[in-house]
Formats: sequence, C-alpha cells, structure tokens
Amino acid sequence: MVQQKNPKGGKDNFTRNLVIAVVLGVVLIMLVPTLLSKQTNSDAAIPSNVSVEDGYGVVFNKELQDVPFIEIYEDFQCPACQRFEGIIGEYVEDLINTKKAKVAYHPLSFLGPESQIAANAAGCAADQGKFIQFHKLLYANQPSENSGAWNSSYLTTLSLGLGITSKDYDKCITTSKYKDWVVNVANEGAKRNINSTPTVFINGKEIDRTTGYNSLAGFMLAVSKA
Amino acid sequence: MKEKLLPLQPWFGLVARLILGGVLFAAGFLKVGTPDKSQMAVRAYEMLPIPIANFLGLILPPIEIVIGALLIVGALTRVMAALGGFTMFVFIIAIAQAWARGLNIDCGCFGGGGAVAPGETKYLQEILRDIGLVFLAAYLIRYPSTKFSLDKNQNRKSSQEEVA
Repeated sequence: MVQQKNPKGGKDNFTRNLVIAVVLGVVLIMLVPTLLSKQTNSDAAIPSNVSVEDGYGVVFNKELQDVPFIEIYEDFQCPACQRFEGIIGEYVEDLINTKKAKVAYHPLSFLGPESQIAANAAGCAADQGKFIQFHKLLYANQPSENSGAWNSSYLTTLSLGLGITSKDYDKCITTSKYKDWVVNVANEGAKRNINSTPTVFINGKEIDRTTGYNSLAGFMLAVSKA
Repeated sequence: MKEKLLPLQPWFGLVARLILGGVLFAAGFLKVGTPDKSQMAVRAYEMLPIPIANFLGLILPPIEIVIGALLIVGALTRVMAALGGFTMFVFIIAIAQAWARGLNIDCGCFGGGGAVAPGETKYLQEILRDIGLVFLAAYLIRYPSTKFSLDKNQNRKSSQEEVA
C-alpha cells in the first residue's frame, strides 16, 4: 500500500488529493487548451478569395449567379479525397475556368497537425493565386497520415514547382499565418455536420453518397441536375 | 465455491480495473489530440443537436483519460467504475441505435469515427466489447477492493462483509 495508514480512520487525504490533481491536471493540460484552440476568431486573417459568408471557404467565380454552386469539403491528408480529386479535379477546374460553376473549397483539418499545416499553406497559396494548383500538388504528393513529411520547408520547396518564390509566401507558411482561419473553416464544417471527407454540396444539397463520388459520370450528372 | 475464490477476488478486481481503466485511458488518449475528428465521430451518431455533439466531442476524451487513469491506479475505484460503466452503457445505446437506424459509421471509440462505407461497420463487435466492459465495471462496483490499489483498506473490509 502506498498511502500511510490513518490510525483515526479519517478521510483518505492522499487519494482525495490525487483525484483532484489528476482531474485538474487533465483539465488544464488537455481540455482548456483544446477548448481555447477551437474558438472561432472572427478577426482572423483570411487568405485571398476566402468568403466568410460561405463558411470561410476559398471561393472561385463568386460573382456568378445562375450557375451551380459546388462546395467541396476535403482534408488534404485524406486518401479518399485524393481519389476524389483524381476523378473530378480536372472537370471542376474546367467548370471554374469556363465560368460554368461557382466553387468553394473548404480545407478541413480533422486528421491532425499535418492537415492544419497543409490547409494553412493552401491559404498562403491562395494569396499567390495558386490555390487550385497547390491543392493538386498536395494530393499528388500525399504522404501517409501525420508521417512528418508535410512541414514548412517541404511545402515551400514543393511550391517552387508552381513558380512561387515569394518571401511572403514562405513566411506565411512558417509562421502559420492562417492558423485561425483553418480553425474557423473546421468550426464551420462542424456546424454544418460534415462527418466525412470528401463531402460535396451542390446548391446546398449533398450529392448522393453511392453515385456522386465514385465516377466522373455520376458527378457530372449531379452537377447537370443542379 | 465462493469461499475458495475469496482470496482471488482482489486479484480479479485488479485485472478488471486494469482492463477497464486501460481501455478508457487508451481511448481518451488516442482521441485527445484530434478534436475535430472526435467531434465528427460524435456527430455521426445523429443522436444529439450538432452544437451539443460538438461540445461532447471535445470533452469526452479528457473525461475518459481521467476515469481511466484513476482506475489504473485504483483511486476511488467504486466511483470510477460506476462512471466508466455508465459511459460504456451510453456507448452501447449509441452504437445500437446507429445500427438499428441503418447508419454506416465507425464507433470512433479509439479515434477514427464518422461515416464508413456500408459493409464496413463493426457494430456487433463494438457492442460485445462494451458489454464486457460493463460487466467488469459492475464487478468493481460490487467488489471495489482490489490488489495494488490506492484506496483504503476499509473497502476491503466492507466487501468481505458483503461476501460473508
């Protein structure tokens, strides 16, 4: 027995103090920082093309009316998102370039720290007008989850391939300039009940899980019906 | 029969404590670093209003860690076993309703969670595991005196009285 015997048979102070210490310790070390880090910060710096009213998504063709509004929730570390990008990426890019759709990308970060690093970097790339290119590049170089591969120097080096050489860009990545924005995107996704990635809404309605995500034809059909 | 097993009872208790506490601690520990995922896992059960589910997703992992850690060291064994058993009971209900309603989700018990492809659900295994843990909790509530526990001996005395 670790604790000393109390001859008077009174309260077990050691156990009581230990319980208090464990509860306080966990609350202070884990719960409070988590709760604080999950606060939406409406003063957060936001990247170019981000639309606060569209759930902090990076929006293309924002000015267009009367076209389908495609909202894509993704996590750059998620393998299903990589597959999905392979299926529909070119098509959506084409819709954007030909002004046939308004598209919002929401980079979620529920898979952990490297998703946050990647989402922040995607915001930095948006400032350089290279969001979509960077987005494609991330999926083309997707490592296994939180393997340590996606760090600042890796991502800045990767971006050289896109012709991004700006010092501001590197600084944006190393200082996590948009980390509050990343939290805001995540919180908006949580409020909208996004429970898996990728999740796609067209004109506010989620596309069919069984048909819309697995083939280009299915996705095109969902867009054309909108 | 009972008489024979009596000396072993605190040892059974120790095993029960370590399994229940270990599972809870591991479950909490694996989720505490990914709050977004944990929130998503709770939302996916479609039981609670979204803001409440999101809040629960944030606080559940630390709660599991506290209960698990205190069970492992054997502090307030009976209270912690009751709390741990209660959380397992709630998980069983949550998983069962997801199953009954035909949702396709992962329980998110040890991280993960959220929607999965139909046919990839493991509801039966998850429920059986949690039922086993509820039984361990029940055992600890009935016999809270265990080997290598921080709790005082008074528990042992009372539990022996109960048995006798």
